[in-house]
Amino acid sequence: MGVVILLLMAAGVAAMLTRRLPTAFALVLLAVTIAFAAGAPLTGKNSVLDTVLQEGAPALAATMIAILLGSWLGKLLEETGIAATLVRKIVEFGGDRPVFVALGVLAVSALVGTVTGSAPAAMLAGLIGIPAMIAVGIPKVTAAGTILMGIAVGVPFELPVWQFFSTALELPMDTVRGFMVKLFPFALVAAVAYVLVESRRRGVEHTWSLRSPAGGPTSRSRRQLLGDAPWYALLTPVVPLVLALGFELAIIPSLLAGVVYALVTTTRPREMNRRLLRTLYGGFEVAAPPITLFVAIGILLAAVKLPGAVDALEPLVKAVSPQNAVLFVVVFTVLVPLCLYRGPLNVFGLGAGIAGVLIATGIYPATAVLGMATSYNQVFGVADPTSTQTVWAAQYAGVSPQQVMVRTLPYVWAVALGGLCVTATTYL
Amino acid sequence: MSGDHGPGPGRDHGLDRDVCRDHDLDLAVRLLAGTPTHEGRDPQLLRRWAEAAEEFGRQMSPGPVPVRVVERDGGLAAGLLARYRSRPPVVEVYVDTVDRAERLVAELGWRHWFPAGSVLAAALAHERAHAWLHHAHVRAEFKRALGHTALRLGPRRLYAHVAGADELAAHAYARAACGLGRSPLLLTEALAAACSESETDRWVS
Repeated sequence: MGVVILLLMAAGVAAMLTRRLPTAFALVLLAVTIAFAAGAPLTGKNSVLDTVLQEGAPALAATMIAILLGSWLGKLLEETGIAATLVRKIVEFGGDRPVFVALGVLAVSALVGTVTGSAPAAMLAGLIGIPAMIAVGIPKVTAAGTILMGIAVGVPFELPVWQFFSTALELPMDTVRGFMVKLFPFALVAAVAYVLVESRRRGVEHTWSLRSPAGGPTSRSRRQLLGDAPWYALLTPVVPLVLALGFELAIIPSLLAGVVYALVTTTRPREMNRRLLRTLYGGFEVAAPPITLFVAIGILLAAVKLPGAVDALEPLVKAVSPQNAVLFVVVFTVLVPLCLYRGPLNVFGLGAGIAGVLIATGIYPATAVLGMATSYNQVFGVADPTSTQTVWAAQYAGVSPQQVMVRTLPYVWAVALGGLCVTATTYL
Repeated sequence: MSGDHGPGPGRDHGLDRDVCRDHDLDLAVRLLAGTPTHEGRDPQLLRRWAEAAEEFGRQMSPGPVPVRVVERDGGLAAGLLARYRSRPPVVEVYVDTVDRAERLVAELGWRHWFPAGSVLAAALAHERAHAWLHHAHVRAEFKRALGHTALRLGPRRLYAHVAGADELAAHAYARAACGLGRSPLLLTEALAAACSESETDRWVS
């Protein structure tokens, strides 16, 4: 039966890779077929309908709320001009030294990455950041990669991600926080190295382009007419982070504090209600795709944790999982490309199911699975040419996602290696 | 082609010069306004920066820059006329775009503004100016000329970078160095419109 479940998983990966099914739909279908293959009854205890679908769908509810709040805060950063002001100041101060601008935009992307993820994070930092970098002479691929590497620096401190791993792997928040703090230096060093090395290798680039100057002094949005956000409002992305990391406040109140801080530092009292509602509804739109995915992941996790599935998969997975710490690092580092192109180790896809199997069967401690999954997440978030932020950043810069993947993969692969080494030495 | 490109030949020359200068400056202001980081700027401020950048470009005298020049195709598809890369120093000239630009100049009767062969010369001069603008002392002078203050501490001022201004300086240098009658921005705009029209024709025919 274990082989049948693995074959079903392979079919699920094929459906996602060939884009026959959207990832969320494929995961739900996979979960239901795995549950049936594991011999689960239709209703009752450990059943397809009551356990997998009814209990699985809201299992990651706390993550979904955190995603929504992050998206809300992201919308506020956009509407109040906080993100744009940060980028503008960086260009003004360091614009004649392209590498300074790239490092500054990297820092802004990292701040944005702590608040929200995926394409909205890339847009927040990249809408002005990418053309501003290109305008000062940074080559297009380097510019797109800088945004993505920057977001990846923020990911270890992205509060909704903490909530996801804490809920999905059933680990205390302290444990998740502790590992993320250890992962952060690898992401930071790799991102700074990317900017410095790529700037040195590629230098600057200027084009005589045929693109007509877009817009003009008269075509300005309401936000643009408001001008720069005040300096103290620029601290907004740091507020939730300081509360969650420094004061160990829970994720949802920390994010709510960020929303309130952004609002009171940028908005007149009589406009607050309208702005809050407008950005909240905008946040729902932004959060819809990841929330859909987290519903599906919850369902898949419930399916692979069914007793029948665990019994069937345990001997097979145990036989192929390295127990030696060095082998663990070598094997899982070599397997890094399997988290690209929606592959089986993508933690926001089938990878979540595999993580669930590894924990449920007791092959690795949950902390080791946390280390593995978060290390892979650093790769997926930057180099996967099918992830929305990579596609958006590349296309907005005018290059292909594959070009960005080739340029960034060595750096994020090194981050994954670092994360796996920490995992092996700490938890195995 | 659509749009007002200023006066044609045969009108009063003094008036022509003023109108042409204003139109060229409008194009420069539009380029700055369309550059990220200038979204909310006062148009008058952009105009002052455009004037200062063009003046700086006209006065520039780049030293000899060891740059390899290569000719490429595919510029029309990529929307490029020329490209400068610093590592290794190379100027890529897109010959298909240069040819199209020369034909367009002839079609529009602009030969008195852009003499035969001047597009290629302007492309090389433009990219040479970009290479020159990367020298530290030139950058510092350019920022002082623009006069945009990022930070003021008593009598000390830290000058800010103005995104897009280097493009205007490079165009102004190319115009001065090649003796063009109008800004290369005018040619850029006409070329972009012509390419966009031919692209539309391809789809509707």
